[in-house]
Amino acid sequence: MKLVGILVVLAGWLVAVVGLGITQSTGARLLLAILGFVICLVGILGVLNKAHMKNAVWKA
Amino acid sequence: MKLYRRMKAGSWIVLALLSCFGLAARAQTPAPSAPAAVAPAPVAPAMAQPLDTKAAAPPSSDDLVKGDPGGTMTGTVSDVVVSDSKKGLTLADTVNQVGQNRIAINFVWTLVTGFLVMFMQAGFAIVETGLCRAKNANHTMMMNFMVYGFGLFAYWVCGFAIQMGGVGGVSTLGGAAPLNAETSITVFGKSWGLFGTHGFFLTQGGTYDVAVMVLFLFQMVFMDTALTIVTGAAAERWKYVAFATSSIFMGALTYPLFGNWAWGGGWLATLGSNYGLGHGYADFAGSGVVHAVGGITALALSMILGPRLGKYNRDGSPNAIPGHDIMIVLTGCFILAFGWFGFNPGSTLAASGNGALRIGSIAVNTMLAGCTGSFGAILYMWMRYGKPDASMTGNGLLAGLVAITAPSGFVNTVGAAIIGLIAGVLVCLSVEFFDRVARIDDPVGAISVHGTNGIWGVISVGLFADGKSNYGGSWNGVNGSVQGLFYGGGGGQLVAQLIGVVTLVGIIFTISYVANFVIDFFIGQRVRPEDELAGLDIPEMGALCYPDFVLKPDQGARGVAAD
Repeated sequence: MKLVGILVVLAGWLVAVVGLGITQSTGARLLLAILGFVICLVGILGVLNKAHMKNAVWKA
Repeated sequence: MKLYRRMKAGSWIVLALLSCFGLAARAQTPAPSAPAAVAPAPVAPAMAQPLDTKAAAPPSSDDLVKGDPGGTMTGTVSDVVVSDSKKGLTLADTVNQVGQNRIAINFVWTLVTGFLVMFMQAGFAIVETGLCRAKNANHTMMMNFMVYGFGLFAYWVCGFAIQMGGVGGVSTLGGAAPLNAETSITVFGKSWGLFGTHGFFLTQGGTYDVAVMVLFLFQMVFMDTALTIVTGAAAERWKYVAFATSSIFMGALTYPLFGNWAWGGGWLATLGSNYGLGHGYADFAGSGVVHAVGGITALALSMILGPRLGKYNRDGSPNAIPGHDIMIVLTGCFILAFGWFGFNPGSTLAASGNGALRIGSIAVNTMLAGCTGSFGAILYMWMRYGKPDASMTGNGLLAGLVAITAPSGFVNTVGAAIIGLIAGVLVCLSVEFFDRVARIDDPVGAISVHGTNGIWGVISVGLFADGKSNYGGSWNGVNGSVQGLFYGGGGGQLVAQLIGVVTLVGIIFTISYVANFVIDFFIGQRVRPEDELAGLDIPEMGALCYPDFVLKPDQGARGVAAD
């Protein structure tokens, strides 16, 4: 799950950066950048952190 | 005499210029006997001609012997350096002196503001130590103390070269021309700078250069600020040897990479010239480069380390683990606020020329945002919990300062006040989120202060930049001033800022996470549970910070650790 989390984070960055090449529209680039940011946050807090929480010290 | 003294500095220059023009005019007039002869180059002889300095009337040696209590006779034409004493003062000497004076002003400004930023290490050290328990005070102080040395060493070896080795010259410091080697790749048909390759050990690539040294000092203290942010979030449970390894890696690679992309002529800086996104990623003094990089690395490390023993109960509810000395926490906040006057105004790298007189505006913006940041936090805590919480008010001040760091050079005072106020509230919400929802333990609130508000600061440039700043006519190679969405600049600048933010949470987080994961695998990041319960001063450092104090039995062990 940790690897999946990292891959999701990287995918978020790619979404934002690909927007630079596939469109000239500022609005579309803005949307893709926001989408990329949200995907990164999901990867960090939703996937990666959840994976760490599985064996959290306070659950023992 | 008084009139002469008031006028002499200015009149001397005017007279010198007039005499120069006179000489130039004579030089351009061909001699009557040789009309066909080509006139000699007009400027060079004039520059080399001795000037008549009588009009400047330097004080006599008799006057000088009497002393100069009013300061009106010190610093006159007699003090201008002459290249050829036989010839006397020339216009060339004068012009060279003017140029060197400008660069000297900028050198001194950049160095002194760099010294202020260096002193922020002391502020960070006591803020973090005060927010930790007394049993970990030596350990926390020693992390903050040695992060300076570890970071400096790594940055000297390779970090500076990676970050600034391809910046291509800094005009305000007289050039720094040897920093001209950037490694790039082509993406979407455009060149993306990735890292510099001149300046390893500050000698390679011709970088044994006075301007490079000034730039190194200033950039080094910024880098160390980013590193010391991490020690706060990982405090009270981080193995010292792992801290040393992680800090060296961050100073050598993680920080310099993002620093290159934003400040070293890398791909984020060229988003404007390459893709028409405003002026590219604009981060005046480092909300993103310094604070968000530190905060995001702190987030990655805190996840790997896990929370302190006793921080969470078995049902996941958090326990408050108060720090041991609120007095040094607030004193440290003041030291940081003082140092921030080096951080932001110093980032002009100049006090003369290139629009650098905006330093006054930058200093006031910094002051205001810190003030409104503490307002936002104190009001939030007072209304929500009924008391004006001291540590969160201190964090509110720092959050405002962090947030204004990127926009400080581009916004007006109203924008600065709003940015700071939002930061003050945001830091409280963010601390609550990480503490209660994400359950990521951060003893000092570093992730929220520096990570969350670093990101807010970066975004705020794209909203509040008022288009009035003009640092030499362009920023990141795009003519005109940085202008945000609220001031008619369109969305391009905001997109550039968001690309920077996504790079921080996407790439910098990944590098930090993987590096610290590897360190955890080989060395182990976390101390043994029994050491954590005893306090890290003896097990890790071999000495107590407060040997004459009687430490209370562990109170943080409410819950799991007490078992």
